[in-house]
Amino acid sequence: MTIMRLKMLAACAVAIVTLHHPASALEMPKGEVILTVTGPNLEHPNSKNVAVFDLEMLEKLAGRTGTMETPWTSGKVTFTGPLLRAVLEAAGAHGKSMKVRALNDYAADVPMEDAMTLDTMLATRMNGNTMSVRNKGPLFLIYPFDSTPSLFNEKYFSRSVWQIKQIEVSE
Amino acid sequence: MTTGARPGSEVIRRVSKATALLQMFAATLLLGLAIIFVLIINRYSTLQDGIRENALWSLYQLDREVRKLHEVVHIALVEGDETSDMWQSASQRYDILYSRMSILEEGKFDRKLGGDEDTGPVLAQIHAAILSLEPIFDEINKNGRTSIEALRGVDIALDPLMQETESILVYANTAVSADRAEARNALLTLQFKSGALVLLLVASVGGLIFLLRRQLRSVRAAGLTFEHMARDLNRSYLAAEAGNRAKSRFMATMGHEIRTPLNAILGTVELMQLDKSPTKIDAGLGTISRSGAALLEILNQVLDFAKSEDGKMTIDIKPTNVSEVVHAVIEMMRDRAVENRNRLSLELPGAARLPVISCDPTRLKQVLLNLVSNAVKFTADGTVEVKVSERLQLGGSRLRFEVTDTGIGIDPEGIEKLYRPFSQVDASIGREYGGTGLGLAISKDIVERLGGTVGVTSRKGEGSTFWFELPAVAVEAHQIATAGAEERPLPSLRVLLVEDNRVNQQVAVGLLTHLGQVVDVANDGREAVCAAGARDYDVILMDMQMPGMDGIEAAEHIRALEGPRSKVPIIALTANASEEDRARCLAAGMNGFQSKPVSMQKLRELIFSLDLPDTLPVVQVVKEASAPPVESEENQKCDFDLRREEMVAALGEDGFADLVESFFVDAASITRELYHNVESPDRTSTDRLLHTLKGAAASIGLCKLADTCQQRRNVILTRDAVNELETLIDDCRRRIAA
Repeated sequence: MTIMRLKMLAACAVAIVTLHHPASALEMPKGEVILTVTGPNLEHPNSKNVAVFDLEMLEKLAGRTGTMETPWTSGKVTFTGPLLRAVLEAAGAHGKSMKVRALNDYAADVPMEDAMTLDTMLATRMNGNTMSVRNKGPLFLIYPFDSTPSLFNEKYFSRSVWQIKQIEVSE
Repeated sequence: MTTGARPGSEVIRRVSKATALLQMFAATLLLGLAIIFVLIINRYSTLQDGIRENALWSLYQLDREVRKLHEVVHIALVEGDETSDMWQSASQRYDILYSRMSILEEGKFDRKLGGDEDTGPVLAQIHAAILSLEPIFDEINKNGRTSIEALRGVDIALDPLMQETESILVYANTAVSADRAEARNALLTLQFKSGALVLLLVASVGGLIFLLRRQLRSVRAAGLTFEHMARDLNRSYLAAEAGNRAKSRFMATMGHEIRTPLNAILGTVELMQLDKSPTKIDAGLGTISRSGAALLEILNQVLDFAKSEDGKMTIDIKPTNVSEVVHAVIEMMRDRAVENRNRLSLELPGAARLPVISCDPTRLKQVLLNLVSNAVKFTADGTVEVKVSERLQLGGSRLRFEVTDTGIGIDPEGIEKLYRPFSQVDASIGREYGGTGLGLAISKDIVERLGGTVGVTSRKGEGSTFWFELPAVAVEAHQIATAGAEERPLPSLRVLLVEDNRVNQQVAVGLLTHLGQVVDVANDGREAVCAAGARDYDVILMDMQMPGMDGIEAAEHIRALEGPRSKVPIIALTANASEEDRARCLAAGMNGFQSKPVSMQKLRELIFSLDLPDTLPVVQVVKEASAPPVESEENQKCDFDLRREEMVAALGEDGFADLVESFFVDAASITRELYHNVESPDRTSTDRLLHTLKGAAASIGLCKLADTCQQRRNVILTRDAVNELETLIDDCRRRIAA
């Protein structure tokens, strides 16, 4: 409970900071761009109506760490990365759903609630190490299978996209 | 009541057993259902399917990525494209392929994918092939490019890889589909089974409900039955107690009743001893005589009551002149009425309307006498009126006898006690007026046996009317006529009696001799044939069952004689002739039947019925005052007293006593033989013994004994049965001696 509450407070704090500093537009990526967020009326685009992120930018956002089993890994694995909603807020993206696209052009439709009501993260690290493309990197959409076991089914497996390169938010 | 309760509890027991069975059945079903449920849960919980699906998808992706990598490499080789974009794109494709490979490596799924083949080795081969390309792409990552030759090597290496991934994909798809179908079938089977179990469960629950309802109903019925039983028990207990009290009171009353006249007798005798003058003696004798008569009356009443209690009261129906009976009663009571200063009046309809009815005159007189004496006893300075009237009712007319007095009367509670044995209206009545309290009970019994009803109306202090009604069945004229017609003289015949039983012989000889007949006796069939051949007889009375030569055979032999002696009339003596017996008798040449035991009346009719020449001598005097003119078959058969009367008339008291004595001697020896037969069974001998005993018992009028013997003939003889028979014989002996 306490942890949950703390997390919510943290989320609120981030939201408040964001609201109170609307002028602070998204900074430009310094390193290699690993994620592009597109959408109608992005509030904080930093490159031609889209928001682009490098690893450093993502790891600065509010995130979480969870240790869990997944169908694609062996044994318990610890994932770390920014919360999906933090990323969307950083980009100022609003909509009802999003298309999460992978390097191999696999795409999954993810409803906005998954980002807002669940602590879904865009994992940047597995067991503390960044993930190469060969190891499902650079970004892996991880649902909180550790804190919400009921998510452990095919419906969420199919939304758990890895090798993510782009998120397209739509109305 | 017990028989009512037993089926109830039986039903409960049976239903309980069925309920227990059904419960066990239902429990088993539930267990089965639980097992099936667990199986279904297991099916779903393993998620095996999902993972397999995932594995299939991963295999598909692997195949796809191999092809994509091949496509990039091939196009680059064909177009000679060596731009950095191409190198980067190829490197990324390899990375993705590599990740796909490791997903499969790490993924938790059955390598057989539900099929028979193990995909493990093939996957390992594919893995090795992909890993073998790693140095080339590592170089691209490091240097941004590599040699075209190396790229060509990749292109060549990818060709067999594509075939392998494709074949493994096809296998996996087939295996997963088949497994899915099988799993679906298994699930369907499970569902069908559980459905059947649920149906059975529903049925058994229905059965349980039904049984429960039945059980409840039985329990309720049993409860009601027990309640009834308890009530009945209580009632009979109270009745028994009341009966006991009444008997005690009766003993006290009787003591008092008997003591009074006895005291009178003793006192008178004492007085007479003191003063022996003739006048005193005359007066004393009168007192003694009256007291003795009173005692006798009391004892008669008690005996009568005992008889009526046992159901042994004899009713002797004969033509009864009502007017005579009533007048006799009035005459008898006149003196008593005068003693109590009562006026005794009689109201009778005209003689023409008071027919001679079929009734028992002695009993009628007894009842009437009881009512009138009660009326006279409980009335002083009053009137006692006897009234006889005829009432026409549905189903025939009835005669109503009313005795009305102006005596002390009875209150409604007292009326309820009337007609009950040993009871008087209250104890003070007994002390004041005396009496056994039996009179009305006996009267009621008699009237009911005569087919009538009794009743009373009364008011305390004003008087009472006791009444009874009897069916008035007028005696038909010819019945009276026949009674007279039998007085005509009998011819005297020479009779051969063939009979093996000594008692029966004595009876028949006695009766025949009394009727003026000349009797010879043959002890069995052989003797009979000799006698019939040696002398002329007018008739032969032939017993059917005899040791040695039986009646049928003897008759055949007699008919086979030469000369006129073969034509002698032969009458079969038989206890209960069946149609078959009759046919056999007629076939043997017999002329008729006479049912046993024989009686005076039967023998007389038999003699009259023979077609005889007129030249025979005639019996001059036949005394027969004792034979009742009208006698029902029932009474004739089953009354020792009547039989005794008849026998005594024929044989004399001593002759009858001899007869009875020899019967009991025979009976004792037969009983001994029967005991012997119980030890070593011999059906024929047993049957003959019982038949003999039965015949002898019937002859001297011991009908119950005769009936018992007859019943015993149809069942296997046991020691108990012989014991019972012996007890019965002893009872008879005691009764006759009494």
